[in-house]
Amino acid sequence: MKFDDVLCPFCGCLCDDITVTAEGGRVTGVDNTCLLGTSKFLGDNRLKNPIMRTDDGWKDVTYDEAIASTLDALLEADRPLLYGWSGTHGEAQCIGVHMAELLGAVIDNTSSVCHGPSILAIQEVGHPGCTLGQVKNRADVIIYWGCNPTEAHPRHMSRYTTYADGYFLDNAFRDRTVIVVDVRRTETAELADVFVEIKPGGDYAVLSALRAMVRGRDEMIPDSIAGVSKEQLRHIVEICKNAKFCAVFFGVGLTMTRGKYKNVRNAIELVDELSRHTKATITPMRGHFNVYGSNEVNTWMSGYPYAIDFCRGIAFYNPGETTAVDILARKECDAALIVASDPAAHLPSKCIRHLANIPVVQIDPYPNMTTAFCNLQIPVAVSGIDAEGTAYRMDGVPIRLRKVLETEYPTDTMLLGRIYEAMMEVRGR
Amino acid sequence: MSELLVKNAYVIDPVNGINGEVMDIAIRDQWIVEEVGSGAMVIDAKGQLTLPGGIDSHTHICGTKVNFGRYMSPEDMRAGRMPRRGSMHATSGYSVPTTYGNTYRYSTMGYTTLLEGAMAPLEARHTHEEFTHTPLQDTMANTLFDGNWAIMEAVRDGDMRRVAAITAWTLSAVKGFAIKLTNPGGTEAWGWGEDVTCIHDQIPHFEVTPAEIITAMITANEMLNLPHSVHLHCNNLGKPGNYTCTLDTFDLARDLNKNRQTLYATHVQFHSYGGSSWKDICSKSEEITRSLNSKPHIVFDMGQVLFGRTTTMTADGPMEFNLYRLHHNKWSNHDVELETGAGIIPVLYRRSNLVNSIMWAIGLELALLTDDPWQCCLSTDSPNGAPFVRYPEIIAMLMSRRYREEEMSSVHPGTEHRVPLPAIDRELDWEEIAIMTRAAQAKALGLIDIGKGHLAPGAEADIAIYPIQIRDVDPSVDYMKVKEAFATTAYTIKRGRVVARQGDCVVDGINSTIWVDPQVPPEYDISNDPEFVKKFDRYYTVRMRNYPVQDVYLERQVCLRPEVSL
Amino acid sequence: MRFILNTGRTIVQGCHVEDKYSETYAGEVSTCRMNLLDMLELGVEEGEYVSVTCGSGSVVLKVVAAGEAIPCGSVFVPYGPYINHIMPEDTHSTGMPDFKSVVVVITPTTEPRKTLQDLIEDLGGRMYEIR
Repeated sequence: MKFDDVLCPFCGCLCDDITVTAEGGRVTGVDNTCLLGTSKFLGDNRLKNPIMRTDDGWKDVTYDEAIASTLDALLEADRPLLYGWSGTHGEAQCIGVHMAELLGAVIDNTSSVCHGPSILAIQEVGHPGCTLGQVKNRADVIIYWGCNPTEAHPRHMSRYTTYADGYFLDNAFRDRTVIVVDVRRTETAELADVFVEIKPGGDYAVLSALRAMVRGRDEMIPDSIAGVSKEQLRHIVEICKNAKFCAVFFGVGLTMTRGKYKNVRNAIELVDELSRHTKATITPMRGHFNVYGSNEVNTWMSGYPYAIDFCRGIAFYNPGETTAVDILARKECDAALIVASDPAAHLPSKCIRHLANIPVVQIDPYPNMTTAFCNLQIPVAVSGIDAEGTAYRMDGVPIRLRKVLETEYPTDTMLLGRIYEAMMEVRGR
Repeated sequence: MSELLVKNAYVIDPVNGINGEVMDIAIRDQWIVEEVGSGAMVIDAKGQLTLPGGIDSHTHICGTKVNFGRYMSPEDMRAGRMPRRGSMHATSGYSVPTTYGNTYRYSTMGYTTLLEGAMAPLEARHTHEEFTHTPLQDTMANTLFDGNWAIMEAVRDGDMRRVAAITAWTLSAVKGFAIKLTNPGGTEAWGWGEDVTCIHDQIPHFEVTPAEIITAMITANEMLNLPHSVHLHCNNLGKPGNYTCTLDTFDLARDLNKNRQTLYATHVQFHSYGGSSWKDICSKSEEITRSLNSKPHIVFDMGQVLFGRTTTMTADGPMEFNLYRLHHNKWSNHDVELETGAGIIPVLYRRSNLVNSIMWAIGLELALLTDDPWQCCLSTDSPNGAPFVRYPEIIAMLMSRRYREEEMSSVHPGTEHRVPLPAIDRELDWEEIAIMTRAAQAKALGLIDIGKGHLAPGAEADIAIYPIQIRDVDPSVDYMKVKEAFATTAYTIKRGRVVARQGDCVVDGINSTIWVDPQVPPEYDISNDPEFVKKFDRYYTVRMRNYPVQDVYLERQVCLRPEVSL
Repeated sequence: MRFILNTGRTIVQGCHVEDKYSETYAGEVSTCRMNLLDMLELGVEEGEYVSVTCGSGSVVLKVVAAGEAIPCGSVFVPYGPYINHIMPEDTHSTGMPDFKSVVVVITPTTEPRKTLQDLIEDLGGRMYEIR
């Protein structure tokens, strides 16, 4: 069977033009994908059935047993943490929020260690953005700051920016100027018209200098800022001010380095400043294909994009306190449900040590690092391969994931729905 | 089958000409019927005011920019927190509540049907997802066409059938309800950081004017025989002197439909300013209502402003940027490829501010100076003028001159010289309020035929019972009682079921989404048009196959299928 | 020697996020990419091992020469369980730990690079053998 216009459930580009061939219950071929997408579609390392940790190893259990055991773990806990959510579809994320509310749990998603700081910045100063098609059709200046799409969002440049056909551009590639700002000369930097190499940790200062120069305050800028010459900064300001449409994309190079949300705030304020001279937009390069969906779902359900603590009954939000890393590092949670992410591969070791000491249930199709730290793992269908559902692209455009395989695995929605219903029997009303 | 009998209801049902009769209302399943059996459950309304369920014909409750308002405003979320209780989920937010916050608060105010004011087609799925989590009202979405490239090209080519065909396909694909134009042409210009000033400016690159778009869409709307008319947010919102633009826009509409208006103008308060700058801004509500009074084929909503904190959000991106440059708070913008835009900023309307005080007065004046209440829908353009939870204040002010005078005494002292409000004696009566909060909306939206906005047998059993005996109350004096009564129903009945009682929502509920699927003949199916498909494939970043909103997003739905005349 | 450490995604790491028990994944996320001049100064060659230390501990990684792509004084390590073994958990009240621009001390070592299993067991986990 051949399926056209399938969505790729890997990164925030959420490409929806993939052709997938499936035979005999597996994907046998893909077209239009990047390397990341190809490996996801063709990957074949799924967990076969739920597994439970025993004193000396692992044993297979049934889904019924797994659900019962999940209930025990979560209902017995005083302060459960429900973490992950970025690799599943929106309908499952909704159940997660209901579950957190019912349990009085903390629910957090992977954006707390990705673009969480960008959200904090947006909450301070807002977000002048647009859908990716605006950039594709109009932008004559593209800035990639602290991100490396070549390796993390491989089709970003061909679908949405540098190499994409644009309505208002005669020759998209020739007519666009691409500026890359980074602390190292990445593969993306090799493709840039202008590469700006910043000293690590220098983003805030360089952004401040650019803002000042856009305001016409050149005289206050020293000859060099964080390794960047004033001359080069002036050149960039000229390019941006003369642009018809200047699109800034930024990555975790800003959010994970010191200054964090203040770096992002400064980048947003640069775009704000540029908006007084030309059209300018800014977009975070979201990682997981549906991490933004998780923020959207959490927001309409609870009021906040991530790090939501229901222990008081109301939704309480205080990143830095109610975020997963902090809660784990303080050894505060006494049980965890991990859905569609792999914290043991991506969080600091102190957090992982705590996971090893508390009951952990993981819902994920694949064995991963967190498998080694959970008491129970329940495999599910893969969103976008054998499960349908909604995903939100990095620019907020929602698209429905397609299903290309029939499956025996329950979807996240089915499994979480069963767990939630069983919880309601005990705790509801 | 379930049966319910509401006894001793003091009914005002303007659609059916009932103005204050004590009667029983029989309900079987979701419909109002002639009579029910003796086994029916009984609710004794004890002579309290009983109206058809409230309908909001312009509110922002669901979708991309609404959610962005929440996302960027934890300070607003903290202002409306309630824990999970009974069948109610936890809620957050004051001016932009969570979906459950919206649905519970509207429900306890007696509202049963809501029109989301602006949905970008490309992001329609988001709106429908949030509708699903707004379970206690029936929902529908205005669909944005103000900067639609394919439509502007068809308008430029003078091809009205093509305009209609594109509109029909889009509405049907995104499960939208009506045509919305927000600052037509302005949102496309904003893609370059520009704007249009009024209806005769050229839109960059497209060689059409807002006036041409508006006229074409009105024509297409009637060709498609849509239940609602074109729903227009005029150009040049919020600028001193913009009333002339508004008047010129009104002049574009001719009377084309015998059942309803031909043009619905939204939040007209924001479009009724005189003067040439913020220094000499004044009310032009008299000129605006003079025009409206002579044009029964235009219906409008007020867009009332009330003092306090709120969040402004609109597809009118350039307007929000201008507003941001006045307020310097925080600014979000979200342009949508080939279609429209959006902007969001939090604002604080202050009594001590002259401009804000004038805005406040204009909204009331529009309602009080419009002769026919069927032409005027009560709204705040929630949350732009104020969050909808404050509708009861507006009702009370419209019913009481004394209340208005009291408010007037605490606004900016310069206001009275710039607005006609102090000279207006009119006090609206209960029936006029009933019209302006449900009956006029049902008529304007074309929903009476599917049983909305009235209480005769055959109507949907959406009913609001307010805890007030109106025969014992003089609203011009007891305005606080009026305000209190409209804030919380004794009972809200939705689809034949009690959904809210004295401020508590008592069921989970499932919303119905009302949408239109114009019955376009195959030769006008634009999705088979090679030129349309080619441009779609080339310039959208979503494949055409993945664009339409799938049925699965509408758990319950009412699809209207108008016969078209192309 | 002191270095500024940046962690980040790579295409190979990305291709194996759903295949983390593969040798390729473990190999990729246990590399430390350095400028050639820094390697000279440190006295290590491509394929040799270094011990990377910061506040929370040390981890042994394999040196990969990065040409000019990495400036002197900086190193780059792909995200994953190896480098996160030593990443500090303090988020400075933002929810986000320092995953970039972290000061580390790097020394050549003859110690072996840990296996994924060792790393997991150090942290109190237990390998699941994939069938």
